[in-house]
Amino acid sequence: MTEAAAKPGLAGARRWRSRASASRLVQYILLQALIVIVCIFALRQPASEPPSRYLVTTFSLKDNGAERSVTLPDFVASRSSMNDPALYTGSFAWPDGEPQRAWSVYLPRFTNGVEVAVNDVVILDSRRDPAANRPDRNTPEIAVIPASLLRDGPNHLAVRLFVWGPISGFLDRIYVGPDEMLRPYYDQRSLLFVTLPVVFSAWQAILAVILAIMWTMRRHEPAYGVLAAAMALGVVQAFLPTPLDQSPYSQLSAVLIASAPLESGFVLAFAVLFFGQKWPRYGPLIFVPGLLLVVIGLFGDRTLVRESFVFLGVPTVGLYLLLLALIVARSVLKRQDVASLLLGCAVTIVLTCWVHDLLSVLQVMHDRRIFVTRLSYSAMLVAIGAGLTWRFARALNQVDSFAGRMVVLVREAEDKLKASFAREEERARAAALARERTRLMRDLHDGLGGQLVSIVALSERGDASAPIGEAARAALKDLRLVIDSMDDIGGDLMLALGSWRERAMAQLRPHDIALDWRVVTPQGLPVHPELRPWHVIQIVRLLDEALTNAVKHADARRIAVSIETLTDASGLGQGCITVEDDGKGFALAPDGGTPTLGQKAARGLRNMRSRAARCGAELELVSGAGGTRVRLKLPHHFPDTDAAAG
Amino acid sequence: MTVLSDERPSQAITVLLVEDDAPTSWRLQDALAKAGFQVTAAATLAEARACLTGSGPRVLLTDLQLPDGHGVELIRETRERFPDTEIMVISILGDEESVISAITVGATGYLLKDAFPTDIAATVHELVAGHSPISASIARFIVRRTQNNPERASGPPLNTAKLTPREIDILWGIAKGFSYAEIAGHLGMSRQTVPGHIKSIYRKLEVHTRGEAVFEALQQGLIRL
Repeated sequence: MTEAAAKPGLAGARRWRSRASASRLVQYILLQALIVIVCIFALRQPASEPPSRYLVTTFSLKDNGAERSVTLPDFVASRSSMNDPALYTGSFAWPDGEPQRAWSVYLPRFTNGVEVAVNDVVILDSRRDPAANRPDRNTPEIAVIPASLLRDGPNHLAVRLFVWGPISGFLDRIYVGPDEMLRPYYDQRSLLFVTLPVVFSAWQAILAVILAIMWTMRRHEPAYGVLAAAMALGVVQAFLPTPLDQSPYSQLSAVLIASAPLESGFVLAFAVLFFGQKWPRYGPLIFVPGLLLVVIGLFGDRTLVRESFVFLGVPTVGLYLLLLALIVARSVLKRQDVASLLLGCAVTIVLTCWVHDLLSVLQVMHDRRIFVTRLSYSAMLVAIGAGLTWRFARALNQVDSFAGRMVVLVREAEDKLKASFAREEERARAAALARERTRLMRDLHDGLGGQLVSIVALSERGDASAPIGEAARAALKDLRLVIDSMDDIGGDLMLALGSWRERAMAQLRPHDIALDWRVVTPQGLPVHPELRPWHVIQIVRLLDEALTNAVKHADARRIAVSIETLTDASGLGQGCITVEDDGKGFALAPDGGTPTLGQKAARGLRNMRSRAARCGAELELVSGAGGTRVRLKLPHHFPDTDAAAG
Repeated sequence: MTVLSDERPSQAITVLLVEDDAPTSWRLQDALAKAGFQVTAAATLAEARACLTGSGPRVLLTDLQLPDGHGVELIRETRERFPDTEIMVISILGDEESVISAITVGATGYLLKDAFPTDIAATVHELVAGHSPISASIARFIVRRTQNNPERASGPPLNTAKLTPREIDILWGIAKGFSYAEIAGHLGMSRQTVPGHIKSIYRKLEVHTRGEAVFEALQQGLIRL
């Protein structure tokens, strides 16, 4: 019944939860779509260009032995050799009356290298500029034409376009005009495509250091180490020039420049570790394409490296970006934290730019071949930095609130402990009280109770000679003993014996019996910390019985009590109390019975034995014509429980 | 009020006996009268006060639980008005609760109600001679108070700060059942001086100031008895 009622509730909650997460998913997808649209819009914005009157558009292209007329921008097929560059020849007019102004040739974009000659004199070779040799950078070039080269009227302009690698060559429009008119446009592009990447690389270097420190301090979070590796790799490759000639390090730098798949692999691994928590079994596969490229870079030739980078590396980067987007999206839905949302948006931007670049490389999209993936990667760097800072700040807040919560928790635990301790103490006290009550009842029953009953019985007989007084006195004596035994004597039996001596003397005085009290060893008896009141009562009652026997049955005139500590072979002290009288004694039967004694005295002896046994003490009875000697040897350790009491 | 005016010499020792239980009172009166004491008996606090109007008795023997009040009040009043009167408390058990509380207001001894007549007379004689009786359990109680943390100790409050090490040694001896002679032998003193030491111990344990917190606590503790 309750189960049936509970199930729809549970299902309802689940449905509500799934509806909520579905709505969050839709929101997230809409946001990413918006980002894509904004990115496309931004990428479609044409870059500002110098006035078109300085444009040189009409060229004659000599390529592969063929010659044709082209209008820039123009693509040429890719080739593996640099020996036969495509040659673009054209002309521009240098108007009269411009002698004061320097003129320049401005090339906004080209792949991969250009050599510019004016009037057959080379004024620019981009291959000498390391930044310009990286096809993934959109490095512009500008060169001032020496005034002496310029002629009035038409001037000859030749551009050799060097192409390496698998992607096709590209030459954007070329401007020739006054330097002051062209340079601002060059500076603008150079800022965007040269300076800004350096800034971001510096930022990436800082991130690498921060993450490496973080990983060193928190070895159990390998995610930071992986991301630090990605950052470090990114920084190193950004500052390496494309190897154009054979040098000892060219292989290595080729490997590093082609490290983007490895870098993206590291970033993906970071995301898996950071958001997915569990490292999948097939996780190492992430690094296979990157490592493959490394191997190719180390052992293959340059062309193979470039080709494999384009055909293996670039799709890998794209695939990883896609996986990254999925992982981060899942994390956004699950965690709903700022860090994953930022990273998600950044990934979308990079992915959009990657698609843009791919379309550009494949010449599907007719644009001016501006590669933006590297640049957009900085969005991810910013997101990582922001996410890290956000996490750090949140961790600090958590530490603060944790400290506060700890204080509260500790106080609560303390209170609880105190309460339970008080309860436990109360329980222990109650238990001790109950035990004490039981013991007291037993002690009173043993002595006082019996004596009072005896008094009642005697008084009912109405016999004047009945020993009521004696019974009553015994009852009082026992009452004093019980009260006395409850006092804490700190394990020193001598203190109990001191009181007993007083009572014994009071008891013996009317009978005119002398009590010879001797403490043989100076300290008397050893101290027993485990001594309990019930032990004391048993021992004192035992001594009382011995005394009573001497007074009532032995007709003794003198009773000697000696107290000593016997030292046995092992050096342990053992207390010993001896009660000796000079009475007539009694004979002990072989079975330990006492045939010559009255029933009462026999019971007294039995009681003495049982009391000694309950305390773990040794009782030695010697009786003869010269008197009786009761020797009580105390145990080394008094027993904890009164087992013999039954 | 019963006055036993036997033909006794005028220098006979006067004893004021305050005990509400008639048989016990008779018994004690008999024992004391036979020994030659001049006994005046009272059964209540009011009767006892009436007896104290003139000059004080040589000895005051009082029970603590009286029908119209507590014996401690009587002891304190007597101690204030007649400093020379020897005061003894009559106790059934001789327990520290009653004896110590009586000592702190000025009593210098105690007497068990069931003591043998000869012992009763002997104890009072000794008291008059300046020998205060003390039991092993009372000595033990006082000695333990000199050692223990007073907050943890049970029973009536007791200030043992004034006791000398020698007096504490004597108390230890008594607590362990040694006789006066044995104690004197151990401590290198004359046997006769031991009872004087005990009286001095009692005097030191007395609380003199009415306003003392100890006294107030004692009063409250006794009211609850």
